[in-house]
Amino acid sequence: MSGNGDLNMRILAGHASGDFAGLSDLYAEAGLNAEANGEIDRACFFFTQAYVFALDAGSTAAAADLRAKLVSYGREL
Amino acid sequence: MKRLNQSELSAVMAPVEKARGLPNAFYTDPELFELEKKTVFEKNWSCIGFGKDIPKPGDARPVTFAGIPLLTVRDRQGQVRVFQNVCRHRGMKLIEEPTTFKSVIRCPYHSWCYELDGALRSTPHVGGVGRNTHPDIDRDGLGLFEVRSKVWMDVIFVNISGDASEFDDYAGHLMERWSEFDGKQVFHGGPNSSLTFEVKCNWKLAVENFCESYHLPWVHPGLNSYSKLEDHYNIVETNAYSGQGTQVYNPQLDATGRRFADFAGLSSKWDAAAEYIALFPNVQLGVHRDHFFVIHLEPLDVGTTREYIEIYYASEDMCGDAMGDLRAAHAAAWNEVFAEDVFVIEGMQQGRHAPAFDGGKFSPVMDTATHCFHHWVAGRFETG
Repeated sequence: MSGNGDLNMRILAGHASGDFAGLSDLYAEAGLNAEANGEIDRACFFFTQAYVFALDAGSTAAAADLRAKLVSYGREL
Repeated sequence: MKRLNQSELSAVMAPVEKARGLPNAFYTDPELFELEKKTVFEKNWSCIGFGKDIPKPGDARPVTFAGIPLLTVRDRQGQVRVFQNVCRHRGMKLIEEPTTFKSVIRCPYHSWCYELDGALRSTPHVGGVGRNTHPDIDRDGLGLFEVRSKVWMDVIFVNISGDASEFDDYAGHLMERWSEFDGKQVFHGGPNSSLTFEVKCNWKLAVENFCESYHLPWVHPGLNSYSKLEDHYNIVETNAYSGQGTQVYNPQLDATGRRFADFAGLSSKWDAAAEYIALFPNVQLGVHRDHFFVIHLEPLDVGTTREYIEIYYASEDMCGDAMGDLRAAHAAAWNEVFAEDVFVIEGMQQGRHAPAFDGGKFSPVMDTATHCFHHWVAGRFETG
């Protein structure tokens, strides 16, 4: 598995290219990593980023999943 | 700003036989132009664009109208909506360029997201990092500011102030007059059927020239051969619209005998009739049995106006490649007519700087449509 540095680089590249669907996936990956480490606040930051970019990209299923994740942590309506 | 003189306004509102035209300041005074944005454009139903420019759900265009940033968008149900182009959070302008929203309208600043119907969908990190809610953030009360809008004949009208009469009342006389065209599906001819002029005159001069036929034999001599002055008639609906009509419209055939298809179901009146009407304040329409056009006047400043001219046909078949050359020739013919008008509307603008000019003297017979428009404008200032 690539390290966080690599993920950061891919996220920056996604911002530079405006690939919002890809950014959603990358932020979701970062969220899952943080969640696995028990860093819930940090995970919810990444899940929020992923949720917004999924909405923007029209990735309906991904947005629904991410919203459900955030709702489960009491972070979204 | 020159103080508005009530006696001058009263002179404009007198019967056409005795009336004077609007004073010079209505064409030259920047402060009066600013006042006009409120009293004329914001308080009435004004044109801001065309539905054909946002054809699919999610399509959106920014529009600045009377200095107000607006956002036009086609929602998921296909309805055109108009919002003030501003995020409810920090007042950021939401879009700068035409775009297609895939799902939501996302503010580029802090990514507050809105549905295409304006409802606030998401407020990321609003309650702290990774916390997207807060008791004091009531999403239900923070949707986009929607502007009253109505699409008719593919024209997007807005009433910024929100307190004009219903559009169907505002334009009801014209909708009734043209009921045979109302509700029909129309097809824009494509890029070659769009014309744009930027003219050095106040927007009102473009209206005034459009709605009268008096100038036709002098400014458009080419029309004399098949559309003589005596074939035209005045159209006057006080406090609503004015224009002119002709009784000898005759669609031209090309060398191979092709012509555009007629709108279905028209009565015999429209076999040879065509009408050209200015719906106050800033839209002009021309209907014919086989096409119609719309002119949207965008006032840029007191002495500059942009004209967007769009030509529509009766069926999709008229808009395909097979008719492309005919549409191009058609647009070129209209372009020639509109171009012939530029020197007179710009010349009248220059004339409005002559201090002795007193608004002018109307022909009681030939200028009734022009006076109808002046009367309407003056009335906005009496009531505004």
